[in-house]
Amino acid sequence: MLYRVIDAAELPLLVAAFMESYEVVAPVRTGKCYNFARIEDAGDIELGYDTTVIAPKKYVLPSAETLLEFDAKENGVTDYIAEIAPRVIFGAHACDINAINRLDLVFKDGPYPDPYYTARRKATLIVGISCTPSKNCFCHLWDSDEARFGYDLFLQDIGGRYLVSISSVEAANILEASCDPRVATDEDRISFRHATRRRQEAFNPDIPHIQEVAMLMDAFHKDPFWEELGGRCLSCTACSAVCPTCYCFDIRDVLDPDGKTGRRERVWDSCTAPQFAEVAGGHNFRANGRGRVRHRMYHKLNGFLANYNHMLCVGCGRCVTACKARINPIEVLRFFEQKGAEDGE
Amino acid sequence: MNRKGLKMANSCAVSTVRVSPGIEHSAPLTGAQMMKENPYRPWPARITSIIEVTATEKLFEFRLIDERIREAFRHEPGQFVEVGIFGVGEAPISISSSPSKQGFIELCVRRTGEVTRALHRMQCGDIVGLRGPFGRGFPFQDMKGHDILLVAGGLGIAPLRSLINNIHDERSEFGKVTIIYGAKVPAEVMFRQQFEMWRHRKDFDLYLTVDTPDDTWDGEVGLVTKPFEHLTIDAGNTFGAICGPPVMYRFVIDEMRKKGISYDHIYVSFERHMKCGMGKCGHCQIGHQYVCIDGPVFNYWEAKNIQGSM
Repeated sequence: MLYRVIDAAELPLLVAAFMESYEVVAPVRTGKCYNFARIEDAGDIELGYDTTVIAPKKYVLPSAETLLEFDAKENGVTDYIAEIAPRVIFGAHACDINAINRLDLVFKDGPYPDPYYTARRKATLIVGISCTPSKNCFCHLWDSDEARFGYDLFLQDIGGRYLVSISSVEAANILEASCDPRVATDEDRISFRHATRRRQEAFNPDIPHIQEVAMLMDAFHKDPFWEELGGRCLSCTACSAVCPTCYCFDIRDVLDPDGKTGRRERVWDSCTAPQFAEVAGGHNFRANGRGRVRHRMYHKLNGFLANYNHMLCVGCGRCVTACKARINPIEVLRFFEQKGAEDGE
Repeated sequence: MNRKGLKMANSCAVSTVRVSPGIEHSAPLTGAQMMKENPYRPWPARITSIIEVTATEKLFEFRLIDERIREAFRHEPGQFVEVGIFGVGEAPISISSSPSKQGFIELCVRRTGEVTRALHRMQCGDIVGLRGPFGRGFPFQDMKGHDILLVAGGLGIAPLRSLINNIHDERSEFGKVTIIYGAKVPAEVMFRQQFEMWRHRKDFDLYLTVDTPDDTWDGEVGLVTKPFEHLTIDAGNTFGAICGPPVMYRFVIDEMRKKGISYDHIYVSFERHMKCGMGKCGHCQIGHQYVCIDGPVFNYWEAKNIQGSM
């Protein structure tokens, strides 16, 4: 990887350069929290944010997206063009970049490349920013605290300046044109090491690390724990809405008011919604909270791992905040931690 | 231009995804390329025949209208298509016709959800959207040279019919072929005429059974597991294939296992609501597997290794 150093004062120039040719979305303050939104002024960007309510996933997999338009009377498609403007996601954390890398595995690299996702991904540049873990962060447990690829630039704050990892030529051109990137000095390198050390030391030590969680989940598949955990699920689906890696969707037809034409769209869906696994005729393969929550945790911490050798959880902690019933992967880790302790000795 | 006066490399461009009724490309695409370009796009197909099979099931025959798509459409027994009616939605339906017959696609459809209700109201000449075929079917090539034991319950005969008719058309490639098909009542026995005709054939051992008989019934009475009592099979050389309601699987698998058929020679087909058909939307997921791309046909060894499959 190519590294250069820029001064913090140069950052607005970099943003302005991106804004010349791209829509720039970045974390901004919305009330008491942060969210990614389109920015007009580099000064609005809050790079010191802890996390955003909704993940930048929404820019590659929007909550609702038209797949095609149709004429219901003729029962055929009509002309439809999805135009995807070039965009820069500025200030994404490593967890969210790793989350998009996971989505790539499903939507871009799989046996059926998704044309809509692929077009969005192609039109999107990602500029990452280093972060300090907050109390719900556990990205380091799933090896997601570092983005090794999937970004165009990654900015590591090393105190008044940034160590920039440069991954794409597209971003390199803009960086060089707008800033004065210089070669890192020994002092920069030491500062970088200090920064990574500080980050590692900032993780909440109360979150247990269960290395073999996937295997344990198979072994404890029928444990009453799942009834206890799933039984309190309110089926609000907030977990999936805030999750940077949840990608399940529904496909639905929406008719225009005249009832003649309409569009087929895909919308975010969630496996914790009660009707998610229902088939025609009414049989529901996951009819209760136990089955649904267990399935969600399995897909995150076991199933995706079996298929792709990566967890489908990046430890961003959003669901820890969003779930009113305290259902989240940390609870699963705590269960396994206690399981050993109670019965051990 | 920027503050250094350099002209920036402008490699960013608007990306587009286009869906249009006609296909306009400078270079003509093959049907397979057209289908691959956007797998969410349904292709218009005309209903060319409708046969009422039971009070709730109809057998539809479709012909894809675009010749290139029709030519490119090749399926395996056990695969499914997404049938769509714009304004209503799509439903995954397994293909009932044999791959040995090309040019048309038969689907046996139970009237049960919104899409299938709308489909049942349609007539010959009407147009629907089809995309697919999707999924992994029965291992037809591997099955050749072996005895075959097929067990269907209720609507499970729909996907198995594709396999049965495929075996029929290449009958000399297979050893002994046994078919056990059970329904609740005689009125729900599908393709009864075809099976009645086969009852006297020497090359198919056919057991038709119903739970509750009536005056018209002269076949067997009892569950689909009943014919196993007097069945002798060459277990080491037999492939089993099962399709039916979820409750049936465990019992039929038990019978096949008791006869000595290996885990990986027993094939089952799962029913889930596949919405995308491409391993993405998540609705058909069981454990770590997607029924739409990893199945719908699994061998019992694979099925055993999926958490929550049975």
